[in-house]
Amino acid sequence: MFVSLRPIFLLAALILACLSACNLEQEVNIDLPEYDSRLVVECYLEPGQAFSLLLSRSRPYFEPFPPLNQEFLNNILVDSAEVAIFHDGKTYSLRNQLAFNPFTRKVFNYYSSEVVPFDTASAFELSIQLPDGQALFAATRILPAVGIDSLVVQFEETDTLARVLTYFTDDPARKNYYRRMFHRSSLDSAAVQDFSVDDRILEGTAAFGTGYNYIVGDTVISTLFHIDQAYYEFLESLQDAVSANGNPFAQPSPIISNIEGTTDAIGIFTGISYDRKAIILRR
Amino acid sequence: MKISFITFLFLFLAVWCPAQQTVVTVSGRIFDESNGETLIGATAFNVPEGVGATTNEYGFYSLAIEAGDSVELTFSYVGYQPLAYSLLLTKDTTLNIGLSTGVQLEEVVVKSNSYQEQLSSTEMSVEAVTTREAKLIPVLLGESDILKAIQLKPGIPSGSEGTTGIFVRGGSNDQNLIVLDEAVVYNANHLFGFFSTFNTDAVKDLKIYKGGFPPQYGGRLSSVIDVKLKEGNNQKFSGAGGIGLIASRLTLEGPVQKGNSSFIVSGRRTYVDIFTRAVNRAKMDDEEFNPIPDYYFYDLNTKINYQLGEKDRLFLSGYFGRDVFGVNGDFFDFDFDWGNATGTARWNHVFSPRLFANTTFTYSDYQYNIQNRVTGFSFKVGSNIRDANLKTDFYFVPNNRHAIRFGANITGHQFTVGRLKAGSDDGLVSFSAGQDFDAMECGLYFSDDISLTEKLAVNGGLRLSGFGNDNTFYFGLEPRLAARYSFSDKWAAKASYARMYQYLHLVSSTGVALPTDVWYPSSARVKPQQSHQVAAGVSYILADQFLINLEGYYKTMDNQLQFVDGAQLFVNDELEDEFAVGEGEAYGAEFSIEKKQGKLTGWIGYTLALIRLKNFTTLNPSGRFAQESEGFGAFFPIYDRRHDLSVVLLYEISRRLSATATFVYGSGDLRWLAPGRFSIQDIHGASFETVVPDYRARNNYRLPPYHRLDLGLVFRFFPRWGETDLTLSVVNVYDRRNTFFIYLEPEFEEVNNGGSVIEVPRRIVARQVSLFPILPSLTWNFKF
Repeated sequence: MFVSLRPIFLLAALILACLSACNLEQEVNIDLPEYDSRLVVECYLEPGQAFSLLLSRSRPYFEPFPPLNQEFLNNILVDSAEVAIFHDGKTYSLRNQLAFNPFTRKVFNYYSSEVVPFDTASAFELSIQLPDGQALFAATRILPAVGIDSLVVQFEETDTLARVLTYFTDDPARKNYYRRMFHRSSLDSAAVQDFSVDDRILEGTAAFGTGYNYIVGDTVISTLFHIDQAYYEFLESLQDAVSANGNPFAQPSPIISNIEGTTDAIGIFTGISYDRKAIILRR
Repeated sequence: MKISFITFLFLFLAVWCPAQQTVVTVSGRIFDESNGETLIGATAFNVPEGVGATTNEYGFYSLAIEAGDSVELTFSYVGYQPLAYSLLLTKDTTLNIGLSTGVQLEEVVVKSNSYQEQLSSTEMSVEAVTTREAKLIPVLLGESDILKAIQLKPGIPSGSEGTTGIFVRGGSNDQNLIVLDEAVVYNANHLFGFFSTFNTDAVKDLKIYKGGFPPQYGGRLSSVIDVKLKEGNNQKFSGAGGIGLIASRLTLEGPVQKGNSSFIVSGRRTYVDIFTRAVNRAKMDDEEFNPIPDYYFYDLNTKINYQLGEKDRLFLSGYFGRDVFGVNGDFFDFDFDWGNATGTARWNHVFSPRLFANTTFTYSDYQYNIQNRVTGFSFKVGSNIRDANLKTDFYFVPNNRHAIRFGANITGHQFTVGRLKAGSDDGLVSFSAGQDFDAMECGLYFSDDISLTEKLAVNGGLRLSGFGNDNTFYFGLEPRLAARYSFSDKWAAKASYARMYQYLHLVSSTGVALPTDVWYPSSARVKPQQSHQVAAGVSYILADQFLINLEGYYKTMDNQLQFVDGAQLFVNDELEDEFAVGEGEAYGAEFSIEKKQGKLTGWIGYTLALIRLKNFTTLNPSGRFAQESEGFGAFFPIYDRRHDLSVVLLYEISRRLSATATFVYGSGDLRWLAPGRFSIQDIHGASFETVVPDYRARNNYRLPPYHRLDLGLVFRFFPRWGETDLTLSVVNVYDRRNTFFIYLEPEFEEVNNGGSVIEVPRRIVARQVSLFPILPSLTWNFKF
């Protein structure tokens, strides 16, 4: 959406800012309830890209982080599982191999050199057999991309600053979910905007906007992901979980995941389809 | 069958009708002689017969007396000089009595009476705070607040940092029926509840029922907070006001027609925004400076009453209050306001010395509006609830053994939930959302307060309630029963049972209450909340000085709402899909010792309580709801507080100087913290989330205990034109850092990774945020 929808937090922030001046924040020692570690799955199917999956585990909150070496990876990653993805009668086996994608700068510990086919008709099914005999399952489909109709640059009449509006058309005939990202310069920079929405308040043409933060010569990249409900709920619950830690006005959320199986796991198995437009700002 | 009915009617009338022709009725109003304000709960006492009556909430009393030539009657009220009359009574007589404050010649009698009245009443689980007490109790930033003062009473947990709701006997914040001159107030808070909407200068009386609810009240499960506004001085023009650190108040009142009609107008406004605007103007040219947002709130109370004749009295009153918050920049405007408006038109009519009626029309409105405008685009969102209510109540006293009430009410509700309108100026982008509901609620009740013997009194009643929304109808049969047994004039035991229905639900998160929380009606899928509550207790007058109360209660609640995991709360036309419905169970014991008279007054209250929520299921089959141990067991709401202690001491050192102290202690509230964490690297273009909290069971962490000491001093001055005082309050005297919330964050360190320096997490630390350090304040008050 083109406006931030956290109005009440502005007022809260004002109060908290005033009070923070009185040094009302301090480090404390607390005992959290017992926590059983569970598995975390991340697998994104992007047509034309290799199959890859990250299988890791969660940790008790206060457990110290190990040094950044092999111990760090052993502490987090889960190896020796048998990972396979089934699609349209074909099985794609993912080897337990640490792989780094220099383009996306992402790390995976299960990988196949075969690429994800572009198929929006048939389901993809994930199977993970763990060394201890437990198993995890998930299923998803790849959605067709929703195109960006246009990127519109608007300069403030009395200023040199501009904003960028990303227009697209929501299909009212079906329930849609979107993830919107906006970058300045490159995808490797931190996203200026990254949020997900559903289409319940969208009617036909919709726009995502930015603030008046850009000047002539800036390169901006706008990406519109068409995501499924499971991924949307996962992202929202992730957002709720992160933002509730430190925001007394927010309700936390447990992670809503589409990973099922015989052992406790969270994560996401989803297709990735998007439209992306990049422009250099000119007056 | 017909015979049976006639027989029943005969017996019924036989009980109610005066037993002898020589019995006459004395009735009328008891009021403050100096300003004409009616006194609620004042006593008319027939000394020889040892029977009495108290004034109802409209100041009306009715007392049956055997006719005679020298009937001795005493009229009294706490803090007022009692009046004794010896009368020749041969027929029904109207006696309007004005009592005055001043030197109390029979202090012991008055004091004893006030306790005796509590002891002899069948009412239990009731707490009250006077405006005098509310003005003396030290409060945040010097803004006296009667709603905060009542939270110092047992059974109404108070003081938790940032927990602004009122949680009575395990009930949630939406289960309190707050009525201002009989009009419902849906949000009684300013600024997230740091201040209430009730201006103490304009309030006459506040009473809270925690259980044993009289049948005339309905629509909420856990409490009734009945606030009455002053009627206005009908003897002379007068005023009162104050200037505090953040707000100023002014109240004016006076006769329209001396002795017959009066008015009162009372206003309050904060003025922090005046200073912040000045700062913004001064820094206008500083590009680095971020303007301070505007914030203020205001209240306006008005009331007019008119004596139409001996038997009729008309009241018109209104309340309007708003919180206003705004941020304005070069490219955008953001405005957010919320508040209540209520209106009451009330007609009192005395049909006969034994039958009194009150008919009221009320209007209530609560709304919030958010407007956001960025060049070329606008965005508006809001919700509101509007009620129009007509009710009539009859108060019938056939004899001194019965006090009968019956009445009916009908309320039309209009809800707008999550109204959204947004779009671009060129019309290319446009979307809207929101739901509108029209609902109707009604009630019919009857109760009789019966003195069966001198020792045993029973109040039995029944309320029939109904609610309709979009072709869905619900009916509730709500029996209410209370009994009192007096062992002696110092000992009494009481017990009560109440069945309650609540047809409205407040949609709010587990976090701090927000003005954007919306009220939602019962529907085909969302069933009405229901509760059963039993309570039992004993009261004892110790040495004519202290009233000691001990009460226990047990309450069950059905159809309690919580949000599902990951609920979409904002602008959601399918809000019901986000609900999970379950049960609640609360029990506890409350102890209090109170001293009302003398130089040192105050009370000590202690509550031991437990509240559990359980068996939640989602309305949407695909919804998820995390419960204790993932095993669908019970969990505790954030306001579950095991121990709660309040000590309030008010010491009248001299006519010119009073000292006050309050101390509160409570077990820590609960919070929902994540016991685990994991990392998500996400897709290309997204940030790597090093630490994502993994939330499991709800409300799994108990905060440290809350405690705080507040002190106050009131210096009074008596200039020729009236009275002034300087009130010094020091809140949180020993600077306790009570917990508002706790958050967990990683600490990073920089490491050299193959020539490039990167930040890696080393450990997680917990940080506690508090709201209030030691806070002194000074307020200047005056009255004339």
